[in-house]
Amino acid sequence: MARVGVFVCFCGANIADYVDVPQVVEEAKRIREVKFAIDYKYMCSDPGQQQIRDAIAQHRLTSIVVAACSPRMHEKTFRKALSDAGMNPYLLEVANIREHSSWVHQKDKKAATEKASDLVRMAVAKSIANEQLHEISVPVTKRALVIGGGIAGIQAALDIADARIPVVLVEKSPSIGGKMAQLDETFPTLDCAQCILTPKMVDVASHPYIELIPYSEVLELQGFVGNYKVKIKKKASYVNFKTCTGCGACWQKCPVKVDNEYNMGIDKRKAIYTPFPQAVPNKPVIDAEHCTMLTKGKCGICAKVCEKGSIDYQMQDEIIEREIGAVVVATGYDMWDPKPYEEYGVGRFKDIITSLEFERMVSANGPTNGLPLRPSDGKVPKNVVFIKCVGSRDEAKGISYCSKICCMYTTKHTILLHHKVHDSHAYVFYMDIRAAGKGYEEFVEKAQVDTGTTYLRGRVSKIYKKGDKLMVRGEDAQIGQVVEVEADLVVLATAVSAPKDNPDLARLLGISYDKYGYLSEAHPKLRPVETAKAGIFLAGCTQAPKDIPETVSQASACAAKVCGLFAGDTMKKDPMISTVNTEYCSGCQNCVKVCPYGAIVTDEVPFGHGSKELRTVAKINEGVCQGCGSCVAICRSTAINLAGFTDPQIINEIVSI
Amino acid sequence: MDYTKQIQEIATRLFAEDKIDVFVGYRLTGFDDNQVPALIRESKDVPLLVFNQKSVFNLSNYLKNDHTRNKRVGLVVKGCDSRSLNLLLTESQVKREKLYVVGIACEGVVDDAGQKMQNCLECMVPAAVVYDELLGEANMERRFIINADIQDMAAKELVQRREYFEEVFENCIRCNACRHSCPLCYCAKCCIDQETATLYNGANTTSSAFHALMTWSLHLAGRCVDCRNCEKACPSHLPLHLFHKWNERVIYENFQEHLAGVHEGDRGAFYKYSMQDPDDFIM
Ligand SMILES: Cc1cc2nc3c(=O)[nH]c(=O)nc-3n(C[C@H](O)[C@H](O)[C@H](O)COP(=O)(O)OP(=O)(O)OC[C@H]3O[C@@H](n4cnc5c(N)ncnc54)[C@H](O)[C@@H]3O)c2cc1C
Ligand code: SF4
Ligand code: SF4
Ligand code: SF4
Ligand code: SF4
Ligand code: SF4
Ligand code: SF4
Repeated sequence: MARVGVFVCFCGANIADYVDVPQVVEEAKRIREVKFAIDYKYMCSDPGQQQIRDAIAQHRLTSIVVAACSPRMHEKTFRKALSDAGMNPYLLEVANIREHSSWVHQKDKKAATEKASDLVRMAVAKSIANEQLHEISVPVTKRALVIGGGIAGIQAALDIADARIPVVLVEKSPSIGGKMAQLDETFPTLDCAQCILTPKMVDVASHPYIELIPYSEVLELQGFVGNYKVKIKKKASYVNFKTCTGCGACWQKCPVKVDNEYNMGIDKRKAIYTPFPQAVPNKPVIDAEHCTMLTKGKCGICAKVCEKGSIDYQMQDEIIEREIGAVVVATGYDMWDPKPYEEYGVGRFKDIITSLEFERMVSANGPTNGLPLRPSDGKVPKNVVFIKCVGSRDEAKGISYCSKICCMYTTKHTILLHHKVHDSHAYVFYMDIRAAGKGYEEFVEKAQVDTGTTYLRGRVSKIYKKGDKLMVRGEDAQIGQVVEVEADLVVLATAVSAPKDNPDLARLLGISYDKYGYLSEAHPKLRPVETAKAGIFLAGCTQAPKDIPETVSQASACAAKVCGLFAGDTMKKDPMISTVNTEYCSGCQNCVKVCPYGAIVTDEVPFGHGSKELRTVAKINEGVCQGCGSCVAICRSTAINLAGFTDPQIINEIVSI
Repeated sequence: MDYTKQIQEIATRLFAEDKIDVFVGYRLTGFDDNQVPALIRESKDVPLLVFNQKSVFNLSNYLKNDHTRNKRVGLVVKGCDSRSLNLLLTESQVKREKLYVVGIACEGVVDDAGQKMQNCLECMVPAAVVYDELLGEANMERRFIINADIQDMAAKELVQRREYFEEVFENCIRCNACRHSCPLCYCAKCCIDQETATLYNGANTTSSAFHALMTWSLHLAGRCVDCRNCEKACPSHLPLHLFHKWNERVIYENFQEHLAGVHEGDRGAFYKYSMQDPDDFIM
């Protein structure tokens, strides 16, 4: 005979204010199998748990029901309390009378109390059919996949590899480095981005524990935490990286000129190219869209000049597979396209550029030898207007969030302008100056004094052309007047946006993303680097806009998570997984089709007792099954049972109310 | 519609060429002009085979039986029968290479009174969709019809509908003939027969019939091909097609005009998922 203990929590006032907790206890006591029922202020506190432990021994309880908050909050806590009292932890059932009752029925205490009692009754009925379950151990593949080789991916890869855990780093473009490789000097200390980034890029390439796979994409991820299998597409580079020395003869001779992405299209690169001189790996790739040999079969110059014979026009995309145990996603961000700002003349006026274009111009290795120049006539500008929040905090035209980095980099840009063009004057149109961060406020203050920049608080309403100047009209909210500034160059601090392919990538990885396309963390405060899928972590701007210090911190946090995951040789796994009763299985394979984790395969069993004939049935890999229950629902002949949610348990629940 | 001669010729040929172990067709009962399924194992019995508008049964149901399983089988299928055959192929219950399928471009079969069957009047896919050889012309254009029964049902309030069915279920004797006669009910152990399935237990109470038949009809939702084997088998003459036609209509209207078993590899609307799937018809 089952002996159930029921423990009802007040959750301070959270439950007690809207549910008559003592009444729920009284109702519970009426259930035949309930031998002990009690309420308590905070069941999850240590004295609360002690009540459970004591009652198990005193009343020889066979299963426990805790009526409290969502099992997501404290199921683990209470399971542990059962274990500590020598009881199998899976004999616990949690009735969620907070999220499912008190919080949603705050206006009707009577109904909320009745519902709470029903939930308790169901949990008691279910718990009677609970079985003892035991954790499963599965082996772990100690290798991590890092997707994206910006500063986030680089830092995560290095930190993981330094712990002697092999890393596979997949980068979409021909070189790692990401956006940071396009920056000049960086706030708040103004050290040159290349100087601090390049050594890290080189470390990645030479690290014995890192396998760098550039110019490639992730196609498919299968499996589960500790045991993923990833398919990677290596795009054809048409250059044999093994023999190429990176001498550059090919790209010097290539006749095809293409807009240079690295320099924001300000100058040209060739059809065979390395994105920038410090690229890692420093091997060129052929841009198949523009190479005339590949498009029209005419040219072939690069192959002729390559002394190593490294050019191979027949090269095909290659698909490779790796077994990995954890994933760090670090796909960074895109720059938001300011096209909707028609009133600024975006697209019409040449002398309006974006912040990243400005960044490229002032960079020592940039297309203009480090000088900002007007795209229209190549002259050095004197009056430069910076406009912040272009696309950011603008629900109507852009995105409602704050891009977080623009205040700081615009300040940096005023300094860089001042350094490069001594007699220049900068104007900044701004909504706020958000300079929260170590040394940030000081950086902004000092810049204002040193550069003598004019700050105008307000949005720009219109930009129009007057001769070869641009007239920037906006409001100066501090004096409450419309102001007009004559500018030689206008720089838009365009918003940071999520990478376009993030939704596709998220679907492929089985993780979620928000309405903007940023990948979602498991908990905004307490689990900011984990995703809801075990073993997949997030670093850098792919989760939300952030600057380099924050990106690097998050990347290192990911590395710590990966190292923690790989600390043992095996991993404990929840035993709430599915199994097939082969006697009932007809081999229809609906379950095989529906399992989102690829956990189900087919197997052959004798047709009947002693029969030599074989028939096909389903078989579930217990290491792979995540206990989602999809197969259980799809199987018509109920040949599949999910431990912890068996038919008798569910039917007991239904029948109890 | 009489293909007796052609079918006999095909069966004779298949036995002569040693292509099959058994031929599944129709023969006369011996009492009247009604027909029963025939399992022919030798060429000398081939003259028993007939095929005409009285060849009503869906013979794909005979593929799950001991005499045909893992054997090389010759099989006659009309439009609806071929669709259930298609599902059996998709659901890995039979192997195509073991079958020689004689498809019929069906002109409709008749009931005991000689009236064309209602499902034939409404049939969307009269010609077989899987076959090695097709008898008749396959160019019959059809339109989806919601029959009068279903219109009546749709006009009823939910409560009235339930009352109606409770009355219907009173006559069910839980013999399970409906299930046994359905080609798509091949489960190794039907959910209704399982010890844990307490909802269906209790000999022939209205409630157990209700639960069993509702479950059954949901297991056929998006799979039932409207062959009416089940209805013909029911000793209590329950209007079983009502469940199936109701489901068929809901699925046709909500899931891109889905019809069961028309395409090989298609498991049915309830066995795949798309973001566009509607859910507003769920009670
Ligand atoms: C104008 C400007 C100035 C800035 N100045 C500063 C500054 O001074 N100081 C500062 O701290 N921060 C600055 N920042 C912010 C800085 O750029 C970011 O914080 C940093 O680059 C974020 O790094 P990340 O690795 O997250 O993203 P990214 O640098 O965007 O790197 C992402 C990488 O992932 C790759 N990738 C994308 N998708 C895929 C995929 N599907 N598969 C494989 N690879 C993929 C990309 O090719 C790229 O290499 C500035 C930003 C801008 C726009
Ligand atoms: S960081 Fe500053 S400029 Fe950028 S969006 Fe936020 S408030 Fe605007
Ligand atoms: S769905 Fe059920 S019957 Fe079909 S193969 Fe899977 S376990 Fe077997
Ligand atoms: S419960 Fe079933 S569908 Fe879900 S992961 Fe396990 S085997 Fe796959
Ligand atoms: S449920 Fe009835 S009509 Fe439908 S396929 Fe089965 S036997 Fe034929
Ligand atoms: S009713 Fe359902 S479980 Fe029973 S045999 Fe038919 S499909 Fe299988
Ligand atoms: S065949 Fe008729 S009587 Fe028998 S179980 Fe089915 S519906 Fe009931």
